Amino acid sequence: MKPLNFVALLLFIAGLVWVFTLSESSVRQIQKSYYSAISPIISKGGETEAFANDFVKEVEHSKDLEKKLTQTSSERDRFRLIAARAWALETENNELRAALDFKKKSKFDVLPARVVRRQPQMWGKTIEINRGSEKGLENSMCVLASNGGLVGRIQLPGDEVSSVLLITDEVSQVSAKVEGTTEVGLVVGRRTTYGEAPRLRLRYLSKNAILRKGMKVYTDGRGDLFPADIPIGTIEDFEVGPVYGEAEILPSVNFSNLQTVFVIAYSSGD
Amino acid sequence: MLLYPISLIGLLLLSCILQQFLPALGTWYDARLLILPLVVLCGSATVSTAGMLTLAFLGGFLWDAQQVLLVEQGDEIVYHSSTDSLKFGYSIILYTLMGFLMQGIRPLFQAGKWYLSAILTGVAIFLYLFVEYLLRGFIIGGFSLENGMVEQIGATSILTMMASPFVFWLLFRIADLCGHTISYQKR
Repeated sequence: MKPLNFVALLLFIAGLVWVFTLSESSVRQIQKSYYSAISPIISKGGETEAFANDFVKEVEHSKDLEKKLTQTSSERDRFRLIAARAWALETENNELRAALDFKKKSKFDVLPARVVRRQPQMWGKTIEINRGSEKGLENSMCVLASNGGLVGRIQLPGDEVSSVLLITDEVSQVSAKVEGTTEVGLVVGRRTTYGEAPRLRLRYLSKNAILRKGMKVYTDGRGDLFPADIPIGTIEDFEVGPVYGEAEILPSVNFSNLQTVFVIAYSSGD
Repeated sequence: MLLYPISLIGLLLLSCILQQFLPALGTWYDARLLILPLVVLCGSATVSTAGMLTLAFLGGFLWDAQQVLLVEQGDEIVYHSSTDSLKFGYSIILYTLMGFLMQGIRPLFQAGKWYLSAILTGVAIFLYLFVEYLLRGFIIGGFSLENGMVEQIGATSILTMMASPFVFWLLFRIADLCGHTISYQKR
């Protein structure tokens, strides 16, 4: 072996050892630095992607009209979300009134964000949005769609853009409950390939759970990751396994058509 | 002497930027042009083993900085099921293996048969993606081969392979400018 190759091999092994022994916080810091560095490029890349999509669809809009339309859509989506939350809060309020409980209601302050890139990764199911730490976004903040459905959570906040891990990804987990029952479990994403609709599984249900198609699944607020009562989807099918029951969930969000999402800037409970 | 390897590193960084502008082709199996791995592969055929190791390390590091998903765990009592993802740095190893594959036919490449290396880039990308897919399944705990996976990987490999002649041409141009000799020389 040539001396140069030997030295290079030693350095390579040393580098590998360094990389594989990096702590999670160091890796997160590296990724954050990288992400912040390429944030402006991602925004431009997202614009290119959007342009290509527009070209394929042969949609022709003038820039002014498109800008106004985006603004209007964003506002409309925001009002829809507020209306959806208002409805949920009204229901909650009625329940609380019925119980003669005057606890302070939880509040959401949402920050609208535009989806700049869909599926930037080969396998991971993520999207990128045009809001980052400059707007106060932090890791693990909850992201909703305009219909109030759960989209995912911030996985990597850059300065100007952030990566959102969708609930349909394999590594995503959401603690959830089934409406009208005492059943709770974990909603996990399922591996899918091109053209396939995203699928979710609700795992760790009891074997004798009585679940019907169409029952709604919500976040249950346990585990410090997601606020309670955010719609996740509806039950499609229920199977009983050797230890637990599992349900197939149809997501409440149309992930292929996400344009505007809302990040819960903070949540304060009672 | 070092001008060409430094230029290669510059090209690698450029490809990292270019990668941000290359979306998946929704109309063709969600295939995408993986320009960064392609530069590592093509570059590996034009440099020595030491250069290839450097390229693989930098390429894998940059790739993982963007691709590895670190998921913050919630309360362990509620989120009792593991959500491990691939370890940061795994791409360095995969890139190195691909690099050795490219180095294996380097004598043919140096003899002017660059098209064999171009074909091999497609094979290497296919193997890389397939192994990555299996590793993800292995880590998460589900060894399933979904329908359409092979098509998606195959289409991505073909698309990437089709771009390899252009990258080789670019590398030859850079080598000329740097005074670096890529082609075979009798000793």
